[in-house]
Amino acid sequence: MMQTVRRMELKADQLYKQKIIRGFCHLCDGQEACCVGLEAGINPTDHLITSYRAHGFTFTRGMPVREILAELTGRKGGCAKGKGGSMHMYAKNFYGGNGIVGAQVPLGAGVALACKYNGKDEVCLTLYGDGAANQGQIFEAYNMAALWKLPCIFICENNRYGMGTSVERAAASTDYYKRGDFIPGLRVDGMDILCVREATKFAADHCRSGKGPILMELQTYRYHGHSMSDPGVSYRTREEIQEVRSKSDPIMLLKDRMVNNNLASVEELKEIDVEVRKEIEDAAQFATADPEPPLEELGYHIYSSDPPFEVRGANQWIKFKSIS
Amino acid sequence: MAAVTATAGWLLRLRVAGIRGQWRRLHGAGQARAFLRPASAGGDAVQRRQVAHFTFQPDPETHEYGQTQKMNLFQAVTSALDNSLARDPTAVVFGEDVAFGGVFRCTVGLRDKYGKDRVFNTPLCEQGIVGFGIGIAVTGATAIAEIQFADYIFPAFDQIVNEAAKYRYRSGDLFNCGSLTIRSPWGCVGHGALYHSQSPEAFFAHCPGIKVVVPRSPFQAKGLLLSCIEDKNPCIFFEPKILYRAAVEQVPVEPYKIPLSQAEVIQEGSDVTLVAWGTQVHVIREVAAMAQEKLGVSCEVIDLRTIIPWDVDTVCKEECFLNLEAPISRVCGYDTPFPHIFEPFYIPDKWKCYDALRKMINY
Repeated sequence: MMQTVRRMELKADQLYKQKIIRGFCHLCDGQEACCVGLEAGINPTDHLITSYRAHGFTFTRGMPVREILAELTGRKGGCAKGKGGSMHMYAKNFYGGNGIVGAQVPLGAGVALACKYNGKDEVCLTLYGDGAANQGQIFEAYNMAALWKLPCIFICENNRYGMGTSVERAAASTDYYKRGDFIPGLRVDGMDILCVREATKFAADHCRSGKGPILMELQTYRYHGHSMSDPGVSYRTREEIQEVRSKSDPIMLLKDRMVNNNLASVEELKEIDVEVRKEIEDAAQFATADPEPPLEELGYHIYSSDPPFEVRGANQWIKFKSIS
Repeated sequence: MAAVTATAGWLLRLRVAGIRGQWRRLHGAGQARAFLRPASAGGDAVQRRQVAHFTFQPDPETHEYGQTQKMNLFQAVTSALDNSLARDPTAVVFGEDVAFGGVFRCTVGLRDKYGKDRVFNTPLCEQGIVGFGIGIAVTGATAIAEIQFADYIFPAFDQIVNEAAKYRYRSGDLFNCGSLTIRSPWGCVGHGALYHSQSPEAFFAHCPGIKVVVPRSPFQAKGLLLSCIEDKNPCIFFEPKILYRAAVEQVPVEPYKIPLSQAEVIQEGSDVTLVAWGTQVHVIREVAAMAQEKLGVSCEVIDLRTIIPWDVDTVCKEECFLNLEAPISRVCGYDTPFPHIFEPFYIPDKWKCYDALRKMINY
C-alpha cells in the first residue's frame, strides 16, 4: 500500500510538471507510513479527517487511485466530480481534504461527538500538521474533546516544517504531543509503519474504552516541498533530505524488515512494485483522458434544495441552474 | 460593487460596473468556449499555457514626486514598507513568512535592513496576528500585519470587526488602533481555486470603523499603502496578487500619498459609467475601448480605490444618478464558491462586462 501511495504521489508530481494537473498539489511522499499505518490501526467504520496533504489518506480510506488522479486533473471521474481538486478529496468516513489550516480540527472533534452519540464504538482520527498546531482553534477543540470525553484521536503529523518554517522557529514548544496539556500524548516514530500501527491501536483502544481523547505526534518527513511551487531546498539542505531518504525511508524500512525476517523475498517485493507501477500508469491514463465536468455543473451542489433554483452569473442575464 | 444606472435627458448615462479583479485563462482567440475542448483533441492533449483575461495598462509616468524607478506591484509594496520603516521608528512589519521576504516577495530585504525585532515572523495564527497587531497599535506603535492570503483573513474577522473597528468608538476616543494596517494578497490568479482566490472586501464593507483599500497598479499601491499606514484608522489593504508581477510602472522612490476615500476618474465619458477596483479596472478599460469602437458609446471609467468609506460623490453625480435610463447592473463572479476547474467561466471578463453594457444600452 505504501508503494502505491509513493508511486501515486510521484506520478502526480510528473503530471503536475506536465501541466496536466494545475492549481495546488501537496504531496506526501515520505509520509506514507503515517497514512498506511493509521489505517491499519483502525477499522473502516472509524472516521478520519485531515488537512490538504490528503492524497495518501484518500487512498487508504478506500478511494481508487484512478479517481484520485482524475480529481487532481479536474475531470468528472474524480472523487469530487472534478470540483474539488487536490485539497478537497473525500471518501466514505473520510472527511477530506481541507484547505484552511487548522480548521479541520474542531470538525474532527464534532465527528467524534457524533461517534460517541451513536454509540457504535467508533473513533475519529483528527490530523493536522506542525504548522497548524499553533492555531487557536486546535486548543478550543482539545478543551471540548477533553471536557466531554470525546473519542477523538488528535494526530499531529510533524514533518518538521510548516511550509518553509522549521518547527524551532514557529513553536515555543516543539513537543507537540504535550500540547494537549490535559490530554495524554504519545510521541511516535512516523517513519516506521509498525510503530504507527501499534500506537494507533493503543490510541483507538484508549478512546473506545471511554477514557476520552488522546494525542499522537507522528514524527515524519516529506521529501517534496510544501507544494509543487516549493522546491523544498531553500529552507533545508539536500543532505538532510538525502539522509532521511537513506536512513528512515518508510518503504525501505519495512522492506528490510520483511526480508531480514524472511517474511518476503526480494523478488516478491519486486513483483509488488511492478504491479503498483502498472496500476498507477493505468490510473494516470484514465485521469488524463477523462473529460472535464460539463459547464452546467458549475452551479450544482451549492445548497440542498428541492426544486432546482437559479444561480446568478457574472451579470444579471447569466443564470445557472443549481441542482443537488 | 458594480453599478449600472441610466440618466434621462440629453445625456444618456448608463452605469455598468465590474467587481473583482479576476483572472481568466484564454485559449488562442480568447473565447471562453475554447477552454472546453476535450483533452484528447488532436495531438495537443496537454493544456496550453493560458493568457490573462486582462491587459495591465500602466498610467503615464509622473515626476510630481521626484525620481521614479521601474517597479512591479510587489516592489512598490516593498518600497512603501521601506519608506515607512525608515521614517517611523515605531513601525514593525510581521506576518507569516515575512522575514525571508514573503511568499510574494513583498518584504524582501527589510529584515536585513531594519533588524529582526522590526521585521519578524509570526506562527500560523491569523486571529493571533491581528489581535497582536491591534495590541501594538493601541500602544501607539505602527503595526503593519500581513495575512498571507485574503482567504485566510476569516479567523481574524472577529478581531477586525469587533475589536479593531470599534476601539475608538467604544473607548470614547481614549484609545484607538489607528496605526494598524493589515495587508493581504487578494483576488483571483488563474489557479487559486477556493482558498487562494477570494476577494473578501465585501464582508468588511459593512463595518464602520475600518477602511478597506484596493489598488490597481504599482504607483497607486505605494501611494495608497503609505496613506493607509499613516491614516489614523485601522486599514485593510488588499493587493491584487495577479498584478504582483504582471503590473510594471514607473514609481517614485520617495514616499508619497494618494488620498483615501477618493475615487479616480480614469477616463471621462458621457454615456455609461463603469466602476471597478483592483485588477478589474484594467478589464473595464478594455471594455470602454470596445464600447467606443463597436458601439460608439462613450464610457466613463472610475477606479473606486477605497471600498469603505467610499467616494459616493464621484460615483453618483447627483443630477445624473437621479436621471438614470437603465437600472444599475452588477457584473461579478457567480454566486458559487470560487471554483477550481471552472474558474475561466466564473470570472467577469471583458466579454461578460461588454455584454452587460450592450444590454444596458438597449434597455
